[in-house]
Amino acid sequence: MALNRKIAYIDLSTGKIEIKPIPLDMRRKFLGGRGLDAYLLYNHAPKGCDPLGPENPVIVSGGILTATLASATARTHVMAKSPLGGMLGSCNMGGFFAPEMAWAGFHHLVIKGKAEKPVYLWIKNGKIEIRDARNLWGKTTTETQWTVREELGDEDIKSLVIGPAGENKVRFANVMTGIKNSGGRTGMGAVMGSKNLKAIAARGTMDIKISYPKEALEYNKRFIDQITSAKVNQTQGTLGTPFIWGATNSWGGVRCRNFQYNQQLYCDEIEPEAIDEACAETMGPYHMAGCFGCQVHCRAKYKIPTGPYKGVYDEGPEYTSQGAFCGEPDCTSLETLLTGNHLVDQWGMDNLETGSIISWAMELYELGILTSKETDGLDLRFGNDEALLEMTRRIAFREGWLGNVLAEGGIIASEKIGKNSFDYLIQVKGVSNLHSDERATPALALNIATASRGSDHLRSRPAIDLYHLPQEVMRKIYSNPVPYDGPLSSEHTEYIGKPWQVFWHENCYMAVDCLGICKYHTTFLGATLPNFEDWSKVIYLNTGLEFTPREIWDIAERCNMMERLFNLREGLQREDLKKGDMLNHRYFDEPTRRGAPDVVGRVIDREKFKKMVDELYEYKGLDKNGVPKPETLKRLGVEKEPSRLL
Amino acid sequence: MVTEKEGLSTAESLRKTRTYGQVRCHNPSCMGRLQPERGAKQVKCPACGLEFRVAWVKDGFPRIRGPVWDVNKRIAEEAFERKMKEEKRDGAK
Amino acid sequence: MEPMGKVLAISPEKCTGCRLCELVCSVFHDGVSNAARSRIKIMKWESEGLYIPMSCQQCQDAPCMIVCPVKAISRDEKLSRVMVNHDICIGCRSCVTVCPFGAMGFNVIDRKNFKCDLCDGDPQCVRFCEIKAVDYLDADRVSIAKKKAAAEKITAAQRQAIALESESH
Repeated sequence: MALNRKIAYIDLSTGKIEIKPIPLDMRRKFLGGRGLDAYLLYNHAPKGCDPLGPENPVIVSGGILTATLASATARTHVMAKSPLGGMLGSCNMGGFFAPEMAWAGFHHLVIKGKAEKPVYLWIKNGKIEIRDARNLWGKTTTETQWTVREELGDEDIKSLVIGPAGENKVRFANVMTGIKNSGGRTGMGAVMGSKNLKAIAARGTMDIKISYPKEALEYNKRFIDQITSAKVNQTQGTLGTPFIWGATNSWGGVRCRNFQYNQQLYCDEIEPEAIDEACAETMGPYHMAGCFGCQVHCRAKYKIPTGPYKGVYDEGPEYTSQGAFCGEPDCTSLETLLTGNHLVDQWGMDNLETGSIISWAMELYELGILTSKETDGLDLRFGNDEALLEMTRRIAFREGWLGNVLAEGGIIASEKIGKNSFDYLIQVKGVSNLHSDERATPALALNIATASRGSDHLRSRPAIDLYHLPQEVMRKIYSNPVPYDGPLSSEHTEYIGKPWQVFWHENCYMAVDCLGICKYHTTFLGATLPNFEDWSKVIYLNTGLEFTPREIWDIAERCNMMERLFNLREGLQREDLKKGDMLNHRYFDEPTRRGAPDVVGRVIDREKFKKMVDELYEYKGLDKNGVPKPETLKRLGVEKEPSRLL
Repeated sequence: MVTEKEGLSTAESLRKTRTYGQVRCHNPSCMGRLQPERGAKQVKCPACGLEFRVAWVKDGFPRIRGPVWDVNKRIAEEAFERKMKEEKRDGAK
Repeated sequence: MEPMGKVLAISPEKCTGCRLCELVCSVFHDGVSNAARSRIKIMKWESEGLYIPMSCQQCQDAPCMIVCPVKAISRDEKLSRVMVNHDICIGCRSCVTVCPFGAMGFNVIDRKNFKCDLCDGDPQCVRFCEIKAVDYLDADRVSIAKKKAAAEKITAAQRQAIALESESH
């Protein structure tokens, strides 16, 4: 059964491997996936450790429902201290790796130390082996995966790998599986690279017993139907995540020219329908692919239609790539989008961070803070497609002065570039923001400012706040599974009630990440998608564990507190621009200029923002400085952490 | 507990609130539901004047592909100028 | 005439490669999640984005049936399927070797062969495949969809020809 999947501790310095069961009371407290990872990180990372040093553990996991019947139980989670901002590092990806690892008998891996020479892990049916990876070093993400399969003689092997960017310890290198499934944020690829760990290969044929198979099948059908019948998922299944662009760029929620504008103009060529046409032309009418068990199938398949990479196969591009290679640098070419997406996939680098940091450099270049001396002659203007792709390459391989500096991530780069470059950097906790512009949406601004892994849209974003939902619908969603009778506003430009929404989604997304399912299968982009009550059933039928919806909420709150404790231990201070729950001054000072008339001319109001943070802290049981009150720790049962039970 | 699953969860009970065949105007204060004619390529919001290019996910399922650039850009520029003037008059908020 | 019975109709071009069919197959038959136990398997050419679902074709003159030394394999005409009687089967795996589609599996945990039994007439792979890359159709209807698609191309060409014709007059 799911509950007998194990945890393995692997020390790459000594080669020692220890395998343990995961006690049931740890499941009851932290479920699995990201939640249990947060516990493990807090317990295994020494305070203030060097993120790229051997003592920083990299933790890989599947959720408690991985490979069971709960729609798409595909997600793999990776956690460590982030080399990008020195705070919590965490990334999550789809694909097929976590199910394979679960079939091989494992839910969690805690990898410490540093191998003397490049190695990879080979996990098969309860056994783990450390193998020589010198022949894999230097290979792209897909070459690495195919070579591992060949070497071990099994085409069904699924691997989690890093590319050249991870080897070069680019601080936003990602971890990848398959063609494009990426654990992008917070530089987990660099942490693997620092350990000389090139890949983790898994293959399993061990049964995972389903507690109530007949009922689980029936319920899964109903669960899937609830998910796939939503308009948002039907759109997603047709156009992939780029569909989001249609709305956000239209009303003025997309960063353009770093942070100068909140909409990209005249960009018809990279709109979702245009991307879809290119996919259809090169891959046929059925060009969507799905991650494990998923009926939403949001992953498009394409071949690059023109240019130097013409005919090369890849998948995506995601909404994030649209922002990274189009919106932020203000490039409008489909070829650049599809090529850029391919390059970061191959080299193993976060598309989001790459596009964001290059756009920042472009703004600095246009302001004269950077000159052609630092760019080694590259004309780093906005809208220069060639320069964008060339700088992407230089970062991945740390070439040239600027390539090497940008590879260090925004905060270190701003220190090296100097002057007032930091003022233009759109980041929180050292992590760049998505290409979204939150100046007109206070709820979303609060989300990115307070997200545990830095500026991020997948931690607590109340995306449905943009839908202008009727009051009664909002009330129904947000007063479950814990009662809430405070104010709620359907207006997404408002400040009222938003902290509660952010708090609710923070717990919702944490629970999803503990289960190992995809956020598109919960109340993220669709208001009518499953959450706590539905999970209570699905957990029970698959694992036999009984949780009330309220208990799942409490677990999520506890896991979020573990992440908070980690960040506080690493120096989080409420208004610190580099390590705090704070936004860049531009959110408060520079009014938006584009988009819908109601969006134009907006900034985030400093005082109201402060009040929102205060209110959110209250819900989370934190004091005014963002530190948990003793009674909160006691209520959540984490007052004795680190307890070192696992 | 197996038998309990027959009741509808909150998410399931909200399913009846889904709307089909309509798109929402992208202006926050407006948010009018627009119903483009079958197969139409463009739609205009009667309340705020914004115009959108429409794409069809499938028959009877429209979505906004993007703004009609020239129209919405002009409306945005006018709104920006007006608001900046108001701000000067009333003082920064 | 008696109906020929329904068959699994696979449209590989539609397959999204998600492998939900493998998951539900193993849960339905064995009560466990384990793709290695699935009767249907998605073969993938990942670097090209090609996914092909493979399962038993329930052959009329089934090689597995012919090769079986103890006659443990027989055709069930009612559901138009080929079945293994495990009370008779000696586990020699000759059927596994001979199947041209690789559709006869051998389970190393239970030491038994296994194959698609069409879930006694309600194939779960079909039930869960929203895009219908795997469908369950009357055998004589399988080719109709392709016939129609091909015919549509011809009608389009014809319409164009007629339009050109009328323009030139």
